[in-house]
Amino acid sequence: MDAAGMKIRDMRKYLDGKDFSSVELTEEFLKRIEENDAESDCFITVTKEKALSDAELADKKIKEGGGYGALCGIPLAVSDNICTKGILTTCNSKSLENFSPPYQSAAMEKLESQNAVLLGKASLDEFGMGFGSTGSARSVAASLSAGAVCSDTGGGARRPAAYFKTTALRPTYGRVSRFGLTAFASSMDQVSPIAKDARDCAIILNSLAGHDKRDMTSSKNEVPDFTAKIGRDIKGMKIGLVTEFLDAIKDSEVKNSVLNAAKTFEALGADVSECSLKSFRYSVAAYYIISSAEASSNLAKFDGIKFGYRSPDGADYNELIANTRSEGFGWEVKRRVLLGNFVLSSGQYEEYFEKACAVRQALRREYDEIFGRFDILLSPTSLAAAYDFGGAGSPAEAYQSDIFTVSSSLAGLPSISVPDGTGAGISLTGAKWEEAALVQAADALENSK
Amino acid sequence: MDLEAVKYLSELGKLGLSDEEAKRAAGDMAGIIEILDIIKEADVIFDPLSGNRGATLNDLREDIKDKPFSTGELMKNAVNSDNCFVVPKVLE
Repeated sequence: MDAAGMKIRDMRKYLDGKDFSSVELTEEFLKRIEENDAESDCFITVTKEKALSDAELADKKIKEGGGYGALCGIPLAVSDNICTKGILTTCNSKSLENFSPPYQSAAMEKLESQNAVLLGKASLDEFGMGFGSTGSARSVAASLSAGAVCSDTGGGARRPAAYFKTTALRPTYGRVSRFGLTAFASSMDQVSPIAKDARDCAIILNSLAGHDKRDMTSSKNEVPDFTAKIGRDIKGMKIGLVTEFLDAIKDSEVKNSVLNAAKTFEALGADVSECSLKSFRYSVAAYYIISSAEASSNLAKFDGIKFGYRSPDGADYNELIANTRSEGFGWEVKRRVLLGNFVLSSGQYEEYFEKACAVRQALRREYDEIFGRFDILLSPTSLAAAYDFGGAGSPAEAYQSDIFTVSSSLAGLPSISVPDGTGAGISLTGAKWEEAALVQAADALENSK
Repeated sequence: MDLEAVKYLSELGKLGLSDEEAKRAAGDMAGIIEILDIIKEADVIFDPLSGNRGATLNDLREDIKDKPFSTGELMKNAVNSDNCFVVPKVLE
């Protein structure tokens, strides 16, 4: 039985039926990680002892019978920008190479309360800047984890998920507490699950969502069961194809993939029609202005004084900090700090940052109007099928490739990426707080193939 | 973007860039700012009263003393001595 290749809900069935134990399941994953991770490079830290100890606890719960959650005994990867108490949390940055958090993130608390199993801390682009949560997506694709909990700011869960042909669900901003998630752009960061399909993502989200008094932006809205609408008929669901999104797609394979998804929805009884998002053309610029501004502020804390890497050189306090940050940060991070300072600086603030905030307000108004008429918006996740991990393109080109994910991030909307044949992924965006409908539509699309 | 501007921004960000890095940054920034400049065409004005409506800012938590971290826990990740963070002399 290929337990590691199963979906979470199937593992649940077999764990509950005692066909295998969580310890056996975890040992299988750990063996696969040992055999394959040198090549896949999904994990920064493999938490072998903790994983087995988590699994033993989970088995005890299952043996006692009843009263445990859907993730009990399920082996997961957690992105290395989510704080795990006493366990190295590096954000894949030299500046945090030796950082062991003295506190647990809200996401980890939730997973622990469910007796989920922590396999290890998954790799990501430094601080999530760049392609994003690559280790999380890859670990799920390679069955090195049953699912992953990572972050999405401007597409950092969705785009790697699309590339590695898995599913990522970015919740509505405020749905999941950001306490303990290393801040990149605080007004857009969201803890997001990646799993083999929409239903598994919804199962993980059920465990993560909920108000947290330690995160002021965390919503007090009641948390529904995000799997509740799965399998219901989508007849009459209104699916929107944004004209500006379609015009932006240059790759014919990607365009056909989206149009085929639209046809599939129509065949399932949904109403598909076009709509317009006028401010879309400014969304990449608005995203990079706002996210870099927020990042430059959030990263100011990394100075090596109270935690993190400290440079051995520094004649005085200021020089020590400058050397620490220069040696600690990679080039992309430095670029974003410079960009953030630029857009916030005197003489530029009104032209860039304030304007970007105005565009963001306009995007929200336009999305509000669209979701008065539509239930779901359909687009590709990525501009092109392939991503050049070697980074042959210019930074500007790389930033432009975020075009389909950033606008939903700016507006705080939930969005899910499901795999298609191209590797660009199909993205569905829903109205605020409507993750259940989003999962319903995504599940319908995934199961139509 | 000229080197002086890059050096100024790097000082703001407390990044010590070498001349070579500053040159590289100037080139990168020029390309990036080119794509950001489209924002100037947007015919929108920021409404400070509606602000960031996407975020619901909930009540402040109650002003109740919580269990503090121990000094040891907080010092664990830092260069420290005698319960102090060690830094180069700031004042002579």
